[in-house]
Amino acid sequence: MKKKIGVYVCECGPNIADKVDIDKIIETVVAANNSENVEIIGDRHKLLCSAAGKVFLEEEIKNKELTHMVVAACSPRDHNSTFINVCKKTELNPYLYKMVNIREHCAWIIPDKDKATNKAIEYIQGGVARVQYQTELIEKKLDTNPDVLVIGGGIAGIEAAISLAGKKRKVTLIERSAVLGGKSVFLKELLPSQAGKEYINKRIKDLTDNENIQVFLNTEIEKIIGFLGNFEIILSDVTNKDKKTEIKTGATIVATGFGLSDVTEFSNINYDTKDEVYTSLEIEKMLSEKGKLKLSSGVPPKKVGLIHCVGRDEKKYCSQICCNYMMKIANYFKKQSAKIEVKEFYKDLCLPHKDDQKLFNLTKKNGVDLVRIKEVSLNGTKIKYSRIDGTIEENEFDMVVVAPPIIPSDSTKNLSEILDIPLDEFGFFQEAHLSTNPVGTSTDGIFIIGNAQGPRGISNSILMAHAASGQIRTQLIPGEQIVPEVKVSEVLEAFCMGCKNCIDVCCYGAIYFDEIKGISVVNEAICRGCGNCVASCPSGSIRLKHFTNEQIYQEVIEALK
Amino acid sequence: MDETKFTPKIVGFLCNWCTYAAADLAGSSKTEISPLFSVIRVMCSSRIDHNLLLTTFFNGADGILIAGCHPGDCHYDKGNYYARRRYALLKNVMDTLKLEPERLELSWVSASEGKRYADVVNEFSKKIEQLGPNPIKKSSVF
Ligand SMILES: Cc1cc2nc3c(=O)[nH]c(=O)nc-3n(C[C@H](O)[C@H](O)[C@H](O)COP(=O)(O)OP(=O)(O)OC[C@H]3O[C@@H](n4cnc5c(N)ncnc54)[C@H](O)[C@@H]3O)c2cc1C
Ligand code: SF4
Ligand code: SF4
Ligand code: SF4
Ligand code: FES
Repeated sequence: MKKKIGVYVCECGPNIADKVDIDKIIETVVAANNSENVEIIGDRHKLLCSAAGKVFLEEEIKNKELTHMVVAACSPRDHNSTFINVCKKTELNPYLYKMVNIREHCAWIIPDKDKATNKAIEYIQGGVARVQYQTELIEKKLDTNPDVLVIGGGIAGIEAAISLAGKKRKVTLIERSAVLGGKSVFLKELLPSQAGKEYINKRIKDLTDNENIQVFLNTEIEKIIGFLGNFEIILSDVTNKDKKTEIKTGATIVATGFGLSDVTEFSNINYDTKDEVYTSLEIEKMLSEKGKLKLSSGVPPKKVGLIHCVGRDEKKYCSQICCNYMMKIANYFKKQSAKIEVKEFYKDLCLPHKDDQKLFNLTKKNGVDLVRIKEVSLNGTKIKYSRIDGTIEENEFDMVVVAPPIIPSDSTKNLSEILDIPLDEFGFFQEAHLSTNPVGTSTDGIFIIGNAQGPRGISNSILMAHAASGQIRTQLIPGEQIVPEVKVSEVLEAFCMGCKNCIDVCCYGAIYFDEIKGISVVNEAICRGCGNCVASCPSGSIRLKHFTNEQIYQEVIEALK
Repeated sequence: MDETKFTPKIVGFLCNWCTYAAADLAGSSKTEISPLFSVIRVMCSSRIDHNLLLTTFFNGADGILIAGCHPGDCHYDKGNYYARRRYALLKNVMDTLKLEPERLELSWVSASEGKRYADVVNEFSKKIEQLGPNPIKKSSVF
């Protein structure tokens, strides 16, 4: 069949029209390609992306019965989808159309009109050659499940579950322990406000009252397979491993929180269980449960030393919240009795929230002695430290409080294997991108929030819960289907030699090995179309659809003519 | 070949998410860029394989630039790290084949670095002009 290729050059007002000779371009392209098998239909238009321009293209495709189309205009980053949508209104498969950028990559960067015109011809010739090697691709729509699994019943998980649950979206929340609320339920006061754990308890109640949320306590995830929109999950009971529940969801949120490092693993911290040394969390628990801070003998302490940042140098990251809560704890003592002498030792102060400076001033006003130090060591309840000016001092306290580093929850490693989500250098879950998508992961449909991603306070944990919830709500609209990427890779069975290189390089786990056939197979629902596997294959058995070697070569050849 | 008339042909494989966007930015800022340079868009720098690069050289390209997102910024997680390894390997292969490895260059240019994109391309184009034609063009083997 004779190919009828429409080549449409956009004037973009004066943007392109003034910089290149459009008539000459069309003439040249028509003359260069017209043959027995190819007919070029060349035309120009003032503004192809306007309503009139789109109608013009649509009618051209229909009336001229185009088999392929090339649009020479601006960047495909601006309007590729505009013209794909025009194709979709016609019989022309959108993958038999190609956009060529003669504005940003030609008209606007080459001042000489003749040179710019020749460059535009080169690019359009590349497009005309390439489009003939393109093949139809059919977008398949997939039904999706809007439901969500939340792993971890701390404040991050609770907020995510409440924010997502609705008539059309059910949420399952699993919590490994027997209680909800995570670490927050032990906190007497929640900075920055005075609002204590009443807030947490209220949110736990909101969660358990919500008829669209199902909570499983003492439960862990055992297995997950699938992809965004369709996950199949097996849950198991911690107390009875044989008790399993199968659920299906469209997305999964990991909110497994943090742990606290054992401070005695650091060489500068030495004490015995009988010593009056407490971790910050133990102090919070003591105050929440007993209402008062006391020594084990039952009498209140008179002289308290607080050490910030234990183990930060060894862990190589700041735990972000300790400076904050250590001042809160210093003030707990001062509130109990202004007579308690409180000395607080810090190397650096991390005061990231807008209210923190106020807390710092209040702590000083309350009479807490804030001492900036270079080095510190603890022996029993004796603290030896060097001040910033170099002087070394030693004080004996009757109670010492240490702030241990925030570390990943102990289930993190195991969970990363089950979910196939990488960990970062510190052992927390690795985000998709630290600045642009801190709640996403390398797998679409799996999100990380709260301290599972790294140390942070409650408000930031909640922010992440809402961020993930927002992404899920736009990605999985109840009742709507999703169109997975069609420009995906495929393994050509006959050539694959089963070396598994491609499996190793794929960052998304999109390729699996078919043991029976001894070849690799791409899971199209997971593949994102980067092409990394193509370049890794020693036998050239992988093709990335719409970016095949043959297609790219056409552009190369025209560029080199 | 008459050296004074040498107009090199240079091909740039740019990743869609960073460097192609930088090229767009350079364009919308009306930065002058060498017309000797031809842009080919790929989704990620990791798509570029030896086959594609060698064929491009054998077909007479005087220079090839591969450009993508900065390390850590690849839209596909770690694609650019793989691109970098393959680039290092191909440099060796080119050396062995006497293909003048300096004709191949890898660069990281982010979407906001329009000016830098222009500098990278223009400098590379100048370098290739000075290097003269791809030795393959003179050889009878290919
Ligand atoms: C001493 C101290 C004082 C603090 N004071 C403040 C403060 O004043 N203000 C403030 O904003 N922040 C404060 N914080 C920080 C606050 O505790 C955290 O920001 C908050 O607890 C984080 O919530 P989360 O949901 O991310 O994690 P977590 O509270 O750790 O909750 C995680 C939950 O997941 C569960 N889980 C773990 N693994 C699994 C698994 N594999 N399967 C199922 N469930 C699992 C855990 O059992 C837990 O219930 C303080 C922290 C400490 C240590
Ligand atoms: S399609 Fe692009 S080039 Fe044409 S008018 Fe619109 S913006 Fe300008
Ligand atoms: S194209 Fe990219 S995402 Fe798809 S299978 Fe290959 S490496 Fe994986
Ligand atoms: S890299 Fe190529 S040959 Fe090796 S397993 Fe993958 S598809 Fe097969
Ligand atoms: S997407 Fe730019 S290098 Fe991978």
